[in-house]
Amino acid sequence: MSEENNNGGRFAKNKQISKLLEWYNKNYKKLLIIPIVIFILSIAVISYKYSTTGDFVSKDISLKGGISITIPSKDIDVSDMETYLSSEFPESDISVRTLTKLGEKTGVTISTSDIDSNVLLNSLKTKFGELDYTVEEMGSSLGKSFFKETFTAIIFAFLFMAVVVFFYFRLPIPSLAIVLSAFSNMVVTLAIINLIGVKLSTAGVAAFLMLIGYSVDTNILLSTRVLKRKGGEIIDRIVNGMKTGLTMTATTIAAISIAYIFSQSDALKQIMLILIIGLLMDVLNTWVQNAGILRLYLERRTKK
Amino acid sequence: MSKSKKLFTNIRVIILLVVILFAIVAINPHPLNKGVSIRNIKINSSASLAGIESPKPTSTPMSKEKIISINNQPINNINDYYSFEAGLKLNRTVRIKTNKGTYRLITKYRTETIVLNETINKTVTEEVNVTKIINGTKVNKTINKTKIITVPKTITKVYNDSIDLGIGVYNAPTTNIRKGLDLQGGTRVLLEPEKKISTDDMDIILSNIKQRLNVYGLSDIVVRTVADLSGNQYILVEIAGANEEEVKELISRQGKFEAKIKNDVVFSGGNDITYICRSSDCSGIDPNNGCSQSNGQWFCRFRFSISLSPEAAQRQADITKNLDIVTEGKQDYLNETLDLYLDNQHVDSLNIGSELKGRAVTDIQISGSGAGATKQEALFESLKNMKRLQTVLITGSLPVKLDVVKTDAISPSLGGEFVKNALFIGMLAIIVVSLIVFLRYRRLEVSLPMIVTLLSETTIILGVAALIGWNIDIAAIAGIIVAVGTGVDDQIVIADEILRKEKQVFFNWKQRIKNAFFIIMAAYFTTFVAMLPLMRAGAGLLKGFAITTIIGVSVGVFIARPAFAAVVEILLKDKL
Repeated sequence: MSEENNNGGRFAKNKQISKLLEWYNKNYKKLLIIPIVIFILSIAVISYKYSTTGDFVSKDISLKGGISITIPSKDIDVSDMETYLSSEFPESDISVRTLTKLGEKTGVTISTSDIDSNVLLNSLKTKFGELDYTVEEMGSSLGKSFFKETFTAIIFAFLFMAVVVFFYFRLPIPSLAIVLSAFSNMVVTLAIINLIGVKLSTAGVAAFLMLIGYSVDTNILLSTRVLKRKGGEIIDRIVNGMKTGLTMTATTIAAISIAYIFSQSDALKQIMLILIIGLLMDVLNTWVQNAGILRLYLERRTKK
Repeated sequence: MSKSKKLFTNIRVIILLVVILFAIVAINPHPLNKGVSIRNIKINSSASLAGIESPKPTSTPMSKEKIISINNQPINNINDYYSFEAGLKLNRTVRIKTNKGTYRLITKYRTETIVLNETINKTVTEEVNVTKIINGTKVNKTINKTKIITVPKTITKVYNDSIDLGIGVYNAPTTNIRKGLDLQGGTRVLLEPEKKISTDDMDIILSNIKQRLNVYGLSDIVVRTVADLSGNQYILVEIAGANEEEVKELISRQGKFEAKIKNDVVFSGGNDITYICRSSDCSGIDPNNGCSQSNGQWFCRFRFSISLSPEAAQRQADITKNLDIVTEGKQDYLNETLDLYLDNQHVDSLNIGSELKGRAVTDIQISGSGAGATKQEALFESLKNMKRLQTVLITGSLPVKLDVVKTDAISPSLGGEFVKNALFIGMLAIIVVSLIVFLRYRRLEVSLPMIVTLLSETTIILGVAALIGWNIDIAAIAGIIVAVGTGVDDQIVIADEILRKEKQVFFNWKQRIKNAFFIIMAAYFTTFVAMLPLMRAGAGLLKGFAITTIIGVSVGVFIARPAFAAVVEILLKDKL
């Protein structure tokens, strides 16, 4: 890295960044504690959720059954709608949400799992007149089987991915580190969406699958750079990989943040939110957790 | 100069350019396309009487018939069409010019017909071919014969305040990309059979649902079976631009089949019919009484055997023993016909052979006919009618009930809004990603090819979708996002690998690009295998996402990425 030593530190032209990387270089073992603690906390959050609700994540009607009616109208008042519906259906559990795009109201969504769609629509029509609407109705048994199915799909996807990684690197510990990094990434992301109260939909399940792909990409990049390249110290290879990896993550996060901010579709918004959280956490999982494990592994190996 | 020559003679670049060209041809973009395209034509409407046909469901968006003007007034969008229709008066002639021809329509009031669960007797006149022997020579003659038939009672409501031409329209598409239901509005219904059924039975159910929807006048439909990982079977029905309630009503009805003589039910679908022959030895064109010609028209008769249960056979015997025998043509028939009803709607009337009078036979032969201008046409019509009838009978005898497990009704205006939104997001995302890439590399030789590759990948994915008739819906958009996102990631890997400032004895391009592709291929395989389980999981509802992602990353890795590496290599070779 001699070219880069001209006016900056060892790792980068900018002194601050170089200092930060220097600190990262020295304290990588201590830093490993952070992802471990976060992982344990996440498991605790998910277990708490499981023990209180019987499910490890809140599900929306597309995964548990029920109906959701979206009315793309700016003129309907949400609190008005809520009072009307709770007087009409006092026994039912109804949630009314405002749809927004850039802070501007674009419509309302009503979801419930215990009213028939025709009954609800008729009641809405008597109050608000003819409406332009979108209805999604999911049978509860299908919802349940759907959740089970997609959950199985994620497990299979994960296993297949692990097989490819093992086949590719043929080194048990580094391969395990990649799989572990992707796994903790999913667990932590799940815990965070639990904490901020997201109700998972089928689109959200797809987002977790996308996350496997993205998170494995940066991990593969790191492991390849560290294991398959020669020249320079391990830390130089890690920092080099980090430059590439962070650029990758930055472009992806930029694109999906735009989609999150501007999207009108609930489904896409949820996908983007899960990806943003997952990719941010992936920075930690790849460059602290996986990088730390790889260094420990390589240092042990050279000692032998 | 020599660099640009090198660029355009590079095989990888040429492959990419050729694929992009194919993609553009497949997408067939006409951004300024005006007019309204025909989605469907209502049966017995002014439009169907004038000879306008419903488009085939498999036809590509750009090939659908498009209305250009009505009464020489240009029709640019659906608002023009609806405002024109609203201004029409009864019994006027309307000239509709489409891209395929000009039609003359006579305006009719908008009507709505409701079929009731009661029946009435109706007198109809029928043309019957008879062969008489006059003075020792055979003479074919057509006589008019009146007979009373039982039909379900219907109420037709005429809206004498509005005219309906009977054409379902939507704004003319500007590309061949099929929009999924979430983007264009419509209804999606997922049905689950009450119990597990064989693939043959499933095929019968599928063709039955299609037939019902076609009879109803809906043509832009997708009916297919989906299965999930646990082996559950579902039937997915997607109808563009239809109202949710009417469709649900139409397809979730079990399909009650009844065969009646006068008002008495002889047998009904389900347990009464034990077997329907569909093999060539007992079904097909009637060998004894095949095709005949009269008045320039050809008629061909078909026949096939069915087996009735003993109870149904006994019922038939009881009913037919009091009927009279009439002679029509060479055959002796009973004076009443066997009338077939499906969900209380009259489907067909069959002659009953006189030999069946009063006898409890379980094997009976059902016959019918088809007409056409040529013998070939009549044969074809006849066999088509037979197949339809068999389908109806088989469906009627299917004891399986379909449960509606999921419905989605998407408002068309919301769908249209969403397309604009998705395009806007796409553009903005590309701009921001380009900006980041440019700031990071500060070299146009790297960032420009990156952006061009990103755009060409999106084009190719959409081209493949247009080519295979794949619907672009929200799930597919998510898939495109993954593919393009992974694409940018891979290109960053290539760029960094090439630009790595590392002391090496000699600068080896091949090795560097090989290094980059080692990472890229690993990422590709992991994404690919991660998407495989989704192809089937959850009634295939996320299949669109999985397929688009797989197509997208494959296009990227095998076509776009090698070209990108080649371009950057050519542009940077003597600069490093």
